[in-house]
Amino acid sequence: MFTIRCPYCGERDQSEFSNGGEAHVARPKDPEQISDREWSEYVFIRANPKGIYYERWVHTHGCKKWFNAVRNTSTDEILKVYKMGEAPPPLKGFKNTIKTPSGEPDVGSGNFSVKKP
Amino acid sequence: MTESKIYFKFDGKKYAGNQGDTIAAALLRNNVRLIGRSFKYHRPRGIYTCGIEEPNALVQIINEHNEPNVRATVKKIYEGMIVKSQNRWPSLKTDLGSINNILSPIFSAGFYYKTFMGPKGFWKNVYEPLIRRTAGLGKPPKEFKSKSIHQHHNVDIIIVGGGLSGLLAARKFAGTNYDVLMVEREDALGGVLKNADKIKSINDQPKDEWLEKTERLIRNSSNIKILKNTLVTTYNFSDHLIALEDKNVGKPQDNEKPELVLHKIRTKHTILANGHIERFITFRNNDLPGVMLAASFEKYLNRYGVVPDESPVIFTNNSSTYSLLKSLTDLGHKPKAYVDIRDQKNIEKETIDLLEKFNIPFYPKSEIEGCEGQKEVKKVSIRTKKNQISKIKTSMLCVSGGFNPDIHLFTQSKGLLKWDKEHLTFKPDRIFQKTITLGSVSGNFSYEKLLVEVENKLSEFEGLNELEVKFELNGPGKFQIKELWETKHEKKSLWSKSFIDLQNDVTTKDLRQAVNEGFNRIEHLKRFTTNSMGTDQGKISSINALGIVSKILKKDISEVGTTTYRPPYSPVNFSAIAGRSTYEFYDPERKTPLHSWHVKQNAVFENVGQWKRPWYFKKSEDETMHQAVQREAEQVRKAAGILDGSTLGKIEIKGKDALTFVNLMYTNSFTKMKPKTGRYALMLGEDGMVKDDGIVCKINDQHFIVTTTTGNAASVLAHMEEYAQTEWPNLNVYMNSITEQFATFNLSGPKSRVIMSRVFNDIDFSNDQFPFMSFNNFKYLDTEIRILRASFTGELGYEIYVPPSHALKLWQKIFIYSRDFDLVPYGTETMHLLRAEKGYIIVGQDTDGTVTPLDLNLNWMIGKKKKDFIGKRSLTRTDIVRETRKQLVGLVPIDKTLGIEEGQHVIEQKDLSLPIKDPVDMLGHVTSSYFSPNLNHSVAMALIRGGKRKIGSRLFVSTENLNTIAVEVVEPNFIDPKNERMML
Repeated sequence: MFTIRCPYCGERDQSEFSNGGEAHVARPKDPEQISDREWSEYVFIRANPKGIYYERWVHTHGCKKWFNAVRNTSTDEILKVYKMGEAPPPLKGFKNTIKTPSGEPDVGSGNFSVKKP
Repeated sequence: MTESKIYFKFDGKKYAGNQGDTIAAALLRNNVRLIGRSFKYHRPRGIYTCGIEEPNALVQIINEHNEPNVRATVKKIYEGMIVKSQNRWPSLKTDLGSINNILSPIFSAGFYYKTFMGPKGFWKNVYEPLIRRTAGLGKPPKEFKSKSIHQHHNVDIIIVGGGLSGLLAARKFAGTNYDVLMVEREDALGGVLKNADKIKSINDQPKDEWLEKTERLIRNSSNIKILKNTLVTTYNFSDHLIALEDKNVGKPQDNEKPELVLHKIRTKHTILANGHIERFITFRNNDLPGVMLAASFEKYLNRYGVVPDESPVIFTNNSSTYSLLKSLTDLGHKPKAYVDIRDQKNIEKETIDLLEKFNIPFYPKSEIEGCEGQKEVKKVSIRTKKNQISKIKTSMLCVSGGFNPDIHLFTQSKGLLKWDKEHLTFKPDRIFQKTITLGSVSGNFSYEKLLVEVENKLSEFEGLNELEVKFELNGPGKFQIKELWETKHEKKSLWSKSFIDLQNDVTTKDLRQAVNEGFNRIEHLKRFTTNSMGTDQGKISSINALGIVSKILKKDISEVGTTTYRPPYSPVNFSAIAGRSTYEFYDPERKTPLHSWHVKQNAVFENVGQWKRPWYFKKSEDETMHQAVQREAEQVRKAAGILDGSTLGKIEIKGKDALTFVNLMYTNSFTKMKPKTGRYALMLGEDGMVKDDGIVCKINDQHFIVTTTTGNAASVLAHMEEYAQTEWPNLNVYMNSITEQFATFNLSGPKSRVIMSRVFNDIDFSNDQFPFMSFNNFKYLDTEIRILRASFTGELGYEIYVPPSHALKLWQKIFIYSRDFDLVPYGTETMHLLRAEKGYIIVGQDTDGTVTPLDLNLNWMIGKKKKDFIGKRSLTRTDIVRETRKQLVGLVPIDKTLGIEEGQHVIEQKDLSLPIKDPVDMLGHVTSSYFSPNLNHSVAMALIRGGKRKIGSRLFVSTENLNTIAVEVVEPNFIDPKNERMML
């Protein structure tokens, strides 16, 4: 469990928050005008990268406000939080200092506690 | 030390120990060596260590609710404690289970997997119960109400371990602005300073004096808090540690106070100074009682003042055993022999001098081949440097196989390890969190280098104290070791065993066999052999296993790698994890304002979410649920009934754009709806599936009140908030939960109008003035109530919303005014029955998140002219308009005497007699089924494939046996299909 800095309340325990999945997936303006495929991509398809990722959080057991965050999914580092409506910070601005906890590959899982000689 | 004796019982016999003794220390004081029987082979086992790492000496504390698997080497005794040995029958000395040892040649690795394969059903009914009885540890405790609590900390620095390194770190932080928490697992600070006589003095003071002064200094600094008897078990991301504090060390459990405290610690920096663990060496019969780790022996001498044996044989591969030799000879005892695997020229001078001075038999470049004895060590057999076997009589053998930095917590934090060739062990390499390791846990085994290490690693902190420390050591300062994991067997008997995991009875032979069978990856090997999978997690042996496996595989040990260290470091009691969240505190109970009335009327309650709702009311003691429900349901349709609907979720929606927002949230159109009217409404997910239903009441275009199903109140509000904040923040709209602001009564039945007119005699309830689905607010006493004409039973009905303070009085008043009208209180079961007679759905019972409004024949609820609402676009997806989707239908049994069971399959074929050759085609399942007292037969609802087209046809419903029930598929509306009754 890590902590998250709610932009309204300050730093709180992760258990007070709920994750809302990928951020900046806009609801199509005119759903009737798009194909089944485009619509289902909006409804069902989300990115799930290993690394830096924009996502939504809500302070469920707090102010109940939604906000966005940039998180490194492989290290759980929260690199930035920002309010709804604010422009997403460019990913290039974040240095991926440590790739994964155990230096495991970029794709797939792994759990090596000993550094490879 | 005070000499008042403490008496306790072990296996029925009374023993005396000293204040502060662990069970193990007290038993050793009384010369008791046999403590338990092993897990698999039931071999006699004794005390192997002097701490948390103990694999063998696990006992059951009878007077503490039968607490099993307690480490005798950790648990302190108190007056009247009752301790029992484990895993033996009928007694520890004559254990019938030890037949397993005789049969042991067949119990090799993977024995259970390979042997107990068939016949079918035997594993569950025969093998498993049998194995569970003979293998295993203690028996689980019986009824036990925990008083444990949780405590949270937010600190700048946590120091794990109050040994020398931890104390030096704390000394640096004392009196500074950092908020520091120091956690020590023993009842006293000092660590190895207290366990062994390795340091003579610190800053020219005797070490005990220095220790006392340092502790006082730390204690007096307001920024450091010390927790003793507290074990850090878990190191989570991010710098979140969990520690378990034992509040009853050395005293019986208090009935009033918490026995354990689970500390949850959030910190900015973690200093791990949790030391090291000695490891053993594997040799023949290395599990016999009387074999003990050397540093543990030393700890018994120095910390507890117990001499486990006056003349043990010492077996070592390193320089650390010098201090044991010194402690023993200082006490006037003379070891039987000193066996060192190292060459004489590599053995430190201090050791050799001491051996010569006391004329102790010395075996350099030699090893222990094995030991003999029935229930404890009687003889050890030494393979000398000339490769000859020499036997010595002794009753104790002290073993030191080197030291492992206690890297468990470090690896839990996801730090990386590397192999230290000099000290032959894994040590921390790269950190992943804000972790600092100090002292032996970092792989630094030198006191001289400790100060430099502390200064260097704490240099990132500002304003710390200057530190000047000077050590005067006893004996060699440099740690020196030679690789040795196991010694070679001399006896080739099937019964001679060299254990690699004492708790799980894993032998080196099992390791070899596993590798031979292809389990050459360490994680596979661990699971196949169960090596290091006991409650001790192989603390003294897991690195030895890696060493042995690396030799078998002819690989470097760092290539073999370690298995994953997972929390907790040591078992954590369930009671500590549960804390106060047990029994009535597990989940809050929500009661309606009418609860006391329901209790008096013999309501049987049902849990709906956290709510307690009357399920049905028992009219007499012997009335069954079925009788009560039939009675209630009949009376509602004949006269009138009243239901406590207070648990219904209620959300108030306000704002300039409230109408637009409600139009987006629900399928129906609310634009043309008149103020002061309500509408049954459906809420969908973006995928088009029904999420919730309720009544939307429009006060005006800027003000709505909506109801939700009882269980979905919170999630519907959260759903609305999500869209209001994230998709349409431009809309001016505010939501608030008002569930608890109103009690709700659902009055229903042909006589409900006359009852309402009597209770509220100034209100006109005529059809003209109060039509179906209209509502209004009325003054009532000093408050206001809202009455809505709606129905969930198909009868004429009214919903009354009243502030909770007035609820009970009004409820009672309704009963007083309806004496002549046969009004019946009814519960949720009758409510379900009545709505099923009308084919009304319950979201979550007749739907399961894969059901669209189209599947439910609720097309009429969709505002087709609306441009958009949540889920609208999905309703035209090709899969949603498919005619073969599962659709809601009604079922009526052809034979009216039969009942249909909820959850049964609906099928086309009548005959299910065995053997069934082809798979039976399942059309769907029964979602609701009740016996209708008003129709005098069963009515059921079912979701079946292409259901709409099947109306009028005959299908079959499975039963719990192989019979089927023939049913007719009908429209799901069994009573009053024209809906005349509610318009009455």
